[in-house]
Formats: sequence, C-alpha cells, structure tokens
Amino acid sequence: MHRTPIYVICSPRPQVGRTLLARLLSEFLLLKNGAVSAFDVNLKEPSLLDYLPKVTETADIDTTFGKMALMDRVIVNDGISKVVDLGFHAFDEFFTMTDEIGFFKEAARRGVTPVILFMADSDRVSLRAHAMLRDQAPRGLLVTVDNEFVLRGEMPEACAGGRTLRIAALPVFLKTYIDRLNFSFTGYLRAEKDSSTELHQWIRDNYFSFRELELSLILQRP
Amino acid sequence: MAKPAVIVVGADKGGVGKTTVSRTLLDYFSANNVPTRAFDTESPRGTLKRFHPDATEIVDMTATADQMKIFDTLNTAAPSVTVIDVRAGLLSPSLAALRDIGFLDAAKSGQITFAVFHILGPSIASLDEIAETAAFMDGAKYFLVKNFINNTSFFEWDQATYNSYFHRIKDATELTIPKLNEMAFEQVEVSSVPFLKFVANKGPNDDAANYSFVLRGYVRHWLANVWSEYDRIKLTEIVGSGKAAARSSGEK
Repeated sequence: MHRTPIYVICSPRPQVGRTLLARLLSEFLLLKNGAVSAFDVNLKEPSLLDYLPKVTETADIDTTFGKMALMDRVIVNDGISKVVDLGFHAFDEFFTMTDEIGFFKEAARRGVTPVILFMADSDRVSLRAHAMLRDQAPRGLLVTVDNEFVLRGEMPEACAGGRTLRIAALPVFLKTYIDRLNFSFTGYLRAEKDSSTELHQWIRDNYFSFRELELSLILQRP
Repeated sequence: MAKPAVIVVGADKGGVGKTTVSRTLLDYFSANNVPTRAFDTESPRGTLKRFHPDATEIVDMTATADQMKIFDTLNTAAPSVTVIDVRAGLLSPSLAALRDIGFLDAAKSGQITFAVFHILGPSIASLDEIAETAAFMDGAKYFLVKNFINNTSFFEWDQATYNSYFHRIKDATELTIPKLNEMAFEQVEVSSVPFLKFVANKGPNDDAANYSFVLRGYVRHWLANVWSEYDRIKLTEIVGSGKAAARSSGEK
C-alpha cells in the first residue's frame, strides 16, 4: 500500500520563504494528485490560508486540544498528501511535541512518511535548529531547503550534508508578481503560452524538484 | 518461593496522587512480568479497582477481617507482591495498625519486604507528615515521592525549609513523578483503563480503541519517565524479582 507523505515546512526564523514553498508544494500536489490538505500554523499571521483558502485550514498548537486537532488529522494514511506551513513562532513547540509523543515512530507504524523541509539560514538559531532536527528525524526524512533568495548561494556547511532541495532566486519584480494573493503557479503554467519565460521555467524546475523528491522517498523505502 | 513484598502507597493528605502512583506501579510490575495483587482501601468504592479490576480488591483497612485478608495471605497468595493504595488520612493509622499486628517486626527481621511510597503534596502540612510517618519506618524501605502533578517546587527554592524536611530522615529515598499533560490524564480517567492499555490503544476488554495519538504519546513519554525512576531505585530487585527486564512501553 502507498504511504501518505506529510511535508512539514519549517524554520525558527521569519522571512525565509517558508510560505512560498508551502504554496508551491501544495499547488504541485494538487496538480499531480487532485487533492492536498494544507495546514497553516501561523496564528499570528495566517498566510498560506490567504493564498490557498480552498485546501488550507488553520491550526493552533499552543494548546493540547489544538495539537490533537492537527496531529490526529495529519497522521492518517488516507492517500491525501499533507502540507504543514509551520510558523517560526510554533517551531520549538511543534518539535518538542513531536519528540515527546514519538511522532516519527508512530508515523512509520501508520504508513505515513513525514518529510521535514527545513528552510536553511546562516544564523545561529537556524544552525541549532537544524542540528536538533538531524537528531530527531530519521535519516533521509530531513530535507534542507537552499532558498537562493535567502542564502545567496552560500549554504552553511553545517546544513550541507544530507538531502537538499534548491529553490532558485527570482528577480525582485517577479517575486513581487508571485506574491500577489490571486497568483497561482499552476494557473500561470496553464495560462502562459510562452514556456521560455523565466517564471515558467522557475515553476517547472521547482515542480520537477518535488517530483524528484517524491521519487527518492519511494526508492528509499524498505 | 520469593519473599513476600508489601508496598504501601499513601499520604495523609488527599489529592496528592496516591492512586496515580499505585497505577503506575501496577503497570510497571505488569510490564516486568512480576505477578502483583492490589488492595484499594477506598471502601466501599475504589478508584484503583476501576482501572485494575482484575488485580484489585477493595478492603477496609480498619476492619480486622480485611486486615486478615491482606496480611494472613501474604505467604500463600500466588503473587508475591502486594500493593496497598491507602486512602487519604489513613496512612499513619494504617502504619500504626501494622505495628500493632507485628507486621513491622516481621519486616525488620527480614521475613517480609516492606516498602512505603509516601506521596507528598505541595503544602507544609504534607511535608509535616514525613516526621510522623518516619517513626514507623524501621525495617522498611521509605520512599518520599515528590509528585509534580501540581507543578509544585517542594520548597527547593528555600534550602533551609527543603533540608528540614527532605534531609531529616536518613534512609529515605526521593522519587520524582513528573507532571502528565492534563488532557492526557483526563482522557485516561475517562477511559478507565491502565496507562499501559491506553498507550497500546486498547479498551478495558483489550478491544481496539481510538484514543488520540497525541495524548497516547504524552502518556507513553510520561510513563517511561516514571518507570525510569522505578528502575533507578531497582524496584524489581527490592521486591525480589531480579533485574528489570527489557520491556516495551505497551505499544504494539
């Protein structure tokens, strides 16, 4: 039986492109599978919800009830991929909880594959968080995201080992264009006839990376 | 046959977690394959019996007939370990009764293993019980159980007060019971199953249950911490059952 992936996109720092990646990945999964469940854990500033309201719901992990509402939903092998956009405020609380409740072991038992997409940055907080995730996440399930717009091509050495996902930097004018609330990546691919545009290629490159990531997860399975 | 062992869990104050600790003990012995019987002194209705109905009998510790039921069967009962959950206010009278029937002398002479888990609450009144109880502890293993269920600090911030209570009794061993998430605790209460069954997602009759994975995780983590305290004091060796076996925390 197929395993259901849960993508947790996270960083202990703001402004690293977390929601952008969550949007891209959610749209890719929606295009490929026809369905996706996204969770926006950014109570102070919901954003994924603003972009993809039809497939996104908010989640609050400040309370035990909120944790149950989120985790008991995502740890289900129902064939629908899950994307969790984990706000930087919730980073410590979330991973303290996953460690305490044995999330990765339970996920393995239930036919669910959690993939941690960590938005790398060069500050000390990010490096410490990355080290903590290396300890907690089973091998291969931690993917370090090299967002060139943030790192400028200088991935910190401490984050460099292991699996990585690269997101190329976009020119600022295109960044502003895709940040509009009514912008859809898949919608752009369908509507734009000229496939040689920079944005067209950027979206296709990212979708291709997601496909590669999915494939590598399938091949990694015992 | 192993020497009989009696573990009394009690406090003179109510609401400090006596039954919770008794439940963790029964789960611990069960996980380590140590046959155990239990007596719940909350007569006529016992909380411990609600969670461990098969192993528990409700008794009235002040009644001679029930005292006979517990202590006259120590050498003949198949489980060599007896856990007694003493209800609030009855710890000192129960220990006095044990002294009067010669039980404490038997423990002193090594015929019986006797351990007392004295559950402490967050008040000075609770700590004052230590001196009172200590008078009966000759020949017993005495454990002062700091139950953090109320997020208390046990006056650790005031070293003089702390020492006056915790360092007064020479041979007492301190045990720490960490705090369990409130919702997880309440869910186990509602389910009326042992902690082990809750972690294993099972109902009272071993039927499949549907408890929250998050709450089960919290209970599993907490129970492992409690058991590591029991391992630290070598509880299975104290009751004469050898070393603690490698065990699962209940989840299959």
